[in-house]
Amino acid sequence: MHSDVSNPGNSAHGTAARNASPAGKRVGVPSNLSVKGLPTEAGSLALRGFTALEDATVVRRLKECGAQPVSWALSRELGLGLCPEDLSRVLGNGQVDFSLMTDTLGEARVAAAVNGVFGFKPSYGMVSRFGLVGVVPSMDCCGFLGKNLDDISAAFRAVRGKDDRDPSMPDPEACAAADPPESLDSPVSVGTIVQCMNGLDSAERTALEKALSRLESLGATVREVEFQGFDLARLVHNVVGSVEASSSCGKFDGVRYGHRASGAKNWNEMYLRSRAESFGTLVKAYLFQGAYFQFQDYPAFENACRIRSGLVRESRRLWEQADLVVLPTRRPGAAPSNPADVGELYDPFSLTLWSNVTGLPSLSLPRLVLHGDSDLGLQLVGPLFGDERLLRVAGQWFQTMEGVR
Amino acid sequence: MIMDYEAVIGLEIHVQLNCRTKMFCRCSTRVGDEPNRNTCPICLWLPGYLPRFSRESLERAVLACLSLHCEIRKESAFDQKVYYYPDLPKGYQLSQFHQPLALNGWLDIPCGDGAAKRIRIRKIHMEEDVAKLVHENEGRTPVSLVDFNRAGVPLVEIVTEPDIRSPREAMEFLRALRIQLRYSESAECSMEQGTMRVDANVSLRPRGSSALNTKVEIKNMNSIRSVGDAVAYEIQRQETCLAAGEPIVLHTRLWDPDNGATLPMREKFEGPCVPDPSVPRIVIEDAWLEDLKARLPEMPAGKTDRFVKQYQLSREEASFLASERELSDYFEATAALGASPRTCVQWISGQLLPLLKEGNIALTDCPAAPDRLAGLLGLLDREEINANAAKEVLRRMMTDPSPPERIVEECGFRQVSAEGELEALVDRVLAENPSAVENYRKGATKAMGFLMGRAMQASGGKANPRLLKEILARKSA
Repeated sequence: MHSDVSNPGNSAHGTAARNASPAGKRVGVPSNLSVKGLPTEAGSLALRGFTALEDATVVRRLKECGAQPVSWALSRELGLGLCPEDLSRVLGNGQVDFSLMTDTLGEARVAAAVNGVFGFKPSYGMVSRFGLVGVVPSMDCCGFLGKNLDDISAAFRAVRGKDDRDPSMPDPEACAAADPPESLDSPVSVGTIVQCMNGLDSAERTALEKALSRLESLGATVREVEFQGFDLARLVHNVVGSVEASSSCGKFDGVRYGHRASGAKNWNEMYLRSRAESFGTLVKAYLFQGAYFQFQDYPAFENACRIRSGLVRESRRLWEQADLVVLPTRRPGAAPSNPADVGELYDPFSLTLWSNVTGLPSLSLPRLVLHGDSDLGLQLVGPLFGDERLLRVAGQWFQTMEGVR
Repeated sequence: MIMDYEAVIGLEIHVQLNCRTKMFCRCSTRVGDEPNRNTCPICLWLPGYLPRFSRESLERAVLACLSLHCEIRKESAFDQKVYYYPDLPKGYQLSQFHQPLALNGWLDIPCGDGAAKRIRIRKIHMEEDVAKLVHENEGRTPVSLVDFNRAGVPLVEIVTEPDIRSPREAMEFLRALRIQLRYSESAECSMEQGTMRVDANVSLRPRGSSALNTKVEIKNMNSIRSVGDAVAYEIQRQETCLAAGEPIVLHTRLWDPDNGATLPMREKFEGPCVPDPSVPRIVIEDAWLEDLKARLPEMPAGKTDRFVKQYQLSREEASFLASERELSDYFEATAALGASPRTCVQWISGQLLPLLKEGNIALTDCPAAPDRLAGLLGLLDREEINANAAKEVLRRMMTDPSPPERIVEECGFRQVSAEGELEALVDRVLAENPSAVENYRKGATKAMGFLMGRAMQASGGKANPRLLKEILARKSA
């Protein structure tokens, strides 16, 4: 059984913010995270009528801390892609204090940037995936969004750590070791990724540089860091993600739950028609693409896996150069509200995909990178399992900035 | 010209491991329960649930690999073997394709001339079993029902090199495999009960060639014998094809036991294998592996050698006893109590096992425990009873729990060894059968057998045969 006392991820280090609790908070839970007894349809006909038998671990742990889940229906099928309108609906009208949101491509962070709130995707493996109706198991992660960073930090601390129901999580000792408590005392060195900066236009760079000056005024040192292959993250995500999605969605057959086509002559036709009628065009395109790599071009998938390993290795070298890395959360321009194809699905996430590919923790901060009227978000990325430090650094910055203001 | 062909046979064997629970959840593996009784959201693959790999299945799988002399790989991993079929509603089977658990094993099988032939094992990997489909009619509508009790049951797949050359060798290999796996307590291996399933790949080549030609896979054999029959049929079928100039094409055939023939089957769609992201990589620590190796019992080959040396048994007797762990344990326990090893083997194989078979009793449940058999053989050895009486006592021991000595007394089986008593008996028999005595004296040795029979009968079967014969020979000389 899980208990806060025995959970190494939860050992308190002592600051005031760290003692914040989600008790009494209303937590938005999207319909691709299980809440016992409630429909968990993940915005898809393929799960129509599926009622969760148990709480997702994140939901259970938040409930145990006294938080109150408020479920909201996803409008994007299987949680893939951006639906900021869902979020502004639940956050904007004060229905919830903060919300959970799955982050597979960068959904939680980009939605946060668009809405001018905080968004956090923990390290892959820090938070249990039990109860998450996933699509890309090696990249899916339960993320958090909210107006208040303390709420997010408190919620993260409440839910993180080993869970018997998700054996894919790493050894908790490895997580704890990556997060030494004394690391905050030294000045924080922040890196900008050369390969990322090269891809930004001058207005974006100016907006980011303004944010960097704010950080320097808060005591951070800024330097350039190298990340070879930064641009390959999208390609890798696209191939690996679609292949995993193709496998993961194999279970949606319309037999045990979900929409079942009527009038089929045999089981095979029933499967084919149920799936054809259940999935939307975008998910179908994604699954077809994955099936293509699985069945027709497996070497491309293998190459993508190799490149992914290279990106993971390369991302480790970032921390020899800087404590944290910063970049905008998103590019300017409105995300298409209804992506026509996989390319359009990926477009809004060009700056977030790499941390899903590498598993790194990533926090999007509002009001720092402004491009005209729109908030691009300042993405702060740290080493694997360095989640605590990421939240604490950002917490201190915002405390100082808000104190000054 | 008629070509002389040689068969090249490789086997793929699925073995159900002896595990209490399934491979990725804690559901029971019990057989014969109501359909879908032993299921949970994990083995039904409901959304949001993640596989939890069972350590028990890893242990059993490693024991199986060790008993087949395989190299256990330090790291292995699960893949998703993608195919769409109603027995696999998540769309993929968790199996080890890219990084199997073990490689490079072997097993020796007996050859006709008493020598051994080594069959190499290419690899062994773990995988989960799939659900069972039941096709029925509801009224006039055909329905397919799915029973998930079997879904997720732990299996290993054992793949041999194409080292097998005949149906006999294939059957010998399967028998040897079954002995090894049962010894290691990793699996039961009953083809009849479906805990061992065998596919055979058969191809032909001109004798002396080392080519590997197009193979045909045969499935659906439900006994070791039917593997032999199916392989034999397939060899002949391919020879006929080649003689008629027809090419052999890669395909799968089903063995039809009723007609004694293989028939082509519709190909099942075989998908690719992609690494599974949710089951953690399996890393085997040296200390854990050493611990398992230490748990592996003395295996049949080594035990046979030891029995020959330690108990002066013939190789046949030794390998017979070593073929089953319980049997060799029973033998050693009996011999340890002072019974002569040779007598033990003869009594176990000639008397005890037939009695158990007759009563359908397992050796482990045998009412004549080693101490009781040793007691009985002791009575025989000290000539307190004779062999016929001993057989009768053993039979009674199956139902009577009292010590053999008590059974001997109660039923009056004690052997008569008093010389005076036997001499009087012999005198009577000789007087009653003068013509037989006459014949014997003329040199008809057969007459002695007749007289012995009469004398033994007169003693009610209780006379000490050695003494009786002595006295008889002396008096009729």
